[in-house]
Amino acid sequence: MRFKAIAAVGILSLASMVPAFGQATTKIGVITSLTGSLAAFGEAHKNGYAIALDEINAKGGVLGKKIELDFYDDQSKPDQAVQGVSKLVDQDQVPVLLGSYSSESTKAIVPAVSQRETPLIIPTATADNVMDSKSPWIFRVCAGANDYAKATIAFLKANGAPKKMAIVYENTNFGQSNMKAMTAAAKEVGIELVAVESYEAKSPDYKAVLQRVKQANPDVIYFCSYLLDATTLMRQSREVDLNPKYYTSAGTGFAAAEFPTEKGAGKNAEYTFSVSQWLPEAKWAGSKEFDAEFFKRFKTHPAYHAIQAYAALRVAAEAINNAKSLEPSKIRDAIKNINMSSTPFGPIKFDNGQNQHPVLITQVQQGQYRVVFPADAAETKPIIPAPVWSKR
Amino acid sequence: MSLLKSWKFWVSLIVVLVWARMPWFIRNNYQLQVLFRITLFAALGLAWNLVGGYAGQLSLGHVAFFGVGAYGLALFADLGIPVWIAVFLAALVSTAFAAVIGIISFRLRGPYFTLATIAFAEVLRLAATNLNVTGGAIGLTMPGLFVGRTFWRSFYLAAVALAVISFITNYWASRSRFGYYLMAIREDEDTAAAVGINTARCKLYALLMSAFLTALAGALYGSAFQFIVPDSILTIDISIQIAIITMLGGAGTLLGPIVGAVLLLTASEAFKNVFQESHLLIYGVLIVVVVLFLPEGIVGGLQHRFRKRIKPPKDAKPQPVLGGAAQ
Amino acid sequence: MVRFLQACADGLLTGALYAVIGMGLALIFGVMRIVNFAHGAFLMVGMYATYVLFDYFKINPYIGFIPAGIALFIFGYLIYMALIRPIRDRSHFMQILMTMGIGLILTDAAQLIFKADYRQTNIDLINRSVHLGPFGANAAEVLSFVIAVAFVIGLRSFVVRSLTGQALRAISQNAEIAPLMGINLVRIQGISFALGTALAGIAGGLLLPRLYLFPGVGEDYTTKAFVMVVLGGMGSIEGAAFGGLVLGLSESVTSLYLGNQWALIIDFVLFLLVLSFKPAGIIGRQRA
Repeated sequence: MRFKAIAAVGILSLASMVPAFGQATTKIGVITSLTGSLAAFGEAHKNGYAIALDEINAKGGVLGKKIELDFYDDQSKPDQAVQGVSKLVDQDQVPVLLGSYSSESTKAIVPAVSQRETPLIIPTATADNVMDSKSPWIFRVCAGANDYAKATIAFLKANGAPKKMAIVYENTNFGQSNMKAMTAAAKEVGIELVAVESYEAKSPDYKAVLQRVKQANPDVIYFCSYLLDATTLMRQSREVDLNPKYYTSAGTGFAAAEFPTEKGAGKNAEYTFSVSQWLPEAKWAGSKEFDAEFFKRFKTHPAYHAIQAYAALRVAAEAINNAKSLEPSKIRDAIKNINMSSTPFGPIKFDNGQNQHPVLITQVQQGQYRVVFPADAAETKPIIPAPVWSKR
Repeated sequence: MSLLKSWKFWVSLIVVLVWARMPWFIRNNYQLQVLFRITLFAALGLAWNLVGGYAGQLSLGHVAFFGVGAYGLALFADLGIPVWIAVFLAALVSTAFAAVIGIISFRLRGPYFTLATIAFAEVLRLAATNLNVTGGAIGLTMPGLFVGRTFWRSFYLAAVALAVISFITNYWASRSRFGYYLMAIREDEDTAAAVGINTARCKLYALLMSAFLTALAGALYGSAFQFIVPDSILTIDISIQIAIITMLGGAGTLLGPIVGAVLLLTASEAFKNVFQESHLLIYGVLIVVVVLFLPEGIVGGLQHRFRKRIKPPKDAKPQPVLGGAAQ
Repeated sequence: MVRFLQACADGLLTGALYAVIGMGLALIFGVMRIVNFAHGAFLMVGMYATYVLFDYFKINPYIGFIPAGIALFIFGYLIYMALIRPIRDRSHFMQILMTMGIGLILTDAAQLIFKADYRQTNIDLINRSVHLGPFGANAAEVLSFVIAVAFVIGLRSFVVRSLTGQALRAISQNAEIAPLMGINLVRIQGISFALGTALAGIAGGLLLPRLYLFPGVGEDYTTKAFVMVVLGGMGSIEGAAFGGLVLGLSESVTSLYLGNQWALIIDFVLFLLVLSFKPAGIIGRQRA
């Protein structure tokens, strides 16, 4: 028997790090995509977490101990994320988990987390099926695809009520989720979908797709694009002379800090609408400071993924302090009852696990994102319709 | 009776028993999960070995069988078929699919065959991404083959069982007439055909067996991780992983896939915990080093060296020449 | 009809870039029978090299691709000498594993050096269009098309005319006999591997202004390159160029009539059909 035990330990000793007992810090588990196709967003997470970490630790950490982040790289793959839950919870015994980045990975870890009765705070996964399980252990800081679609539809209804819409979406989980959400939302208010087109990201040419859209002659286009595809899409929209009255979008690529600047789509970005979860110019106290701190450290402006990660860690720390315990179930109850009235990401309060985060509609005007909807947050009026390309 | 006298049989039996008892010795579910992955990939490596090792047909499309296993289980179970029956139906569908792939791609040799298998797997991935029935890129929730507190332990034991079945299949292939036919095909397909071996049929049978086992592994894997998307269950990365494990462990050897799975997956998990962003780089270096210095894989290389020392000239393998059987 | 012709034109503009990628892979395959899984990674390295020149030295990518190509040539030669030459007699699968390992190392190294951030170059030219009757095209795409075509023609005449090129063809026709005729196998293989790498890098440089850049950008292009090379008949350099054009055309036309999600599927179906029925490639000649 001893021989077997030795063999078992021998094989596993390489794979396992010794769990620390009575450590001087409190570990919080983070799963994100440090490598693989989504590594850029994993990096945004990491940077956002780093700022929150320093801020919390400077104020004394949680329960008198400093926080330490325990990262697990899911390599942008859902199955690896599930393995991460096991590593962080079963082995490192973290009391609360943050992550993952993508909707796929996050959806995949929901059952594993619920099974282990450990609270999970989701910073960025927008697909709505992430929240389908109704598990009491799952909390989402960001707004979801349904919220994007609803906000966009509400904006359209308040501003000219167009009749015909085209959806152009990236053929991934993000794109398909947002396409489905918008399809449902548009049907509800009687907007006709004249074209629903998908595309493969990383392709250098979308002109054929845009030609099909042009043929359908929509009033509105709703782009669900993840990355810098947004730049190519807008450039090629100009090239095929595609002229809807509204260019709307589900954020991300269309809400990236570089998108309206010369480093991104430049002038082609003008007049595009986008949903947004957060902007450095947002009215919430601390937004500008977060932006400044981020720029100082990382030499680039943050997109909302970074601040959502920041907010998730703030929630975790606050909950631990409120719970006065590292017991996962007590932390869960504390997250449920959390009421943070002022963070740089706005007020945070969960309703059935979902943070009621307002979705803003922005428009690029003179190379700047300006909030145009809802009325109480608007900085300026939307410019409608977008001028045709030949008149720009 | 001769089996009971063989020391190898008893050693194997002890190894299997120890392996199966592993959950009783290890500390937590994470280690169990890593062990599950190692065991499952050992099974996959052994299944791949039938085609890639013994028959020398280097498939990089095995993820297609793996994916059909997982998707098949989800879809059949969705129709109300009991899960374990669904698993076998999925494996049968995968085998039928393998027949189609095999009939088309086995007409091709060497790199052409390899590329054809990649193409089939990619077509499946794209189809799964675009079809509604497979849930598109949004994915499907998998039915649980096991539930409850002993979740991982049960999955682990199922993986061990699958690895044992795969091992026995390999053992049989390494000893039987069928296995010798396969090896003859690997060494020189034209000569094999000339001496009367029905090469097409042999290769196809090997592929069918391999696909069946691979699909079972896919169903297990998908169910263990509870949720599948095309990018996790039909990605070429899995084909590559299976091939790397077997080739680096030693293709065409009985122990190679097992050694490869244990070493590579343990290393990759350890690297991930230690090196963070640079773990893939270290993994890449490991692959390059093994290819450079252990051309026949770890087990193949050791066997070769060992045998050489005992009886040098007779048993020494001839070095493959440029433009040899591989082309 | 205008839409169809426009889609064809767009397809050819992209296809010419594909052709350069495909030729690089075909060169390596033709001379060494190595299926190079690091090809997309080489393309990515070429993109980063061009990007660095643009970002630090303000060199326009349409000039910067030249020094980047030269750098990749040297890089490819070194990789051949250090990692490929020692294993050139091994089974082709070990060689595939080696190139996979190289690809992993390059991709992760790029992430460590440049971070995973998405980057793009925004040059003035990319926002200009040229018009011809009812047809329009992006000026930068036209320029990269012209450069790509020049490379296709240049490479072809190099292979046909020069002594090195002839040696290269001799080896791709018969690797056993060629050395007997006084051809230095190692030197020629080194040159063709380096040239193949350089072509991937050049294609990367030309692609940079149209696309964006991150460490994993090359992955999809490896499989695409396989498709082109097979369409043209494996190992044939002209064939691969032709395969690139066909791929560009089929992607564009399929996207226009069926939708973009079918484009990749059609690519692979085409690929399987050619492999099954005409392994020598669409144009059907035995490999050159």
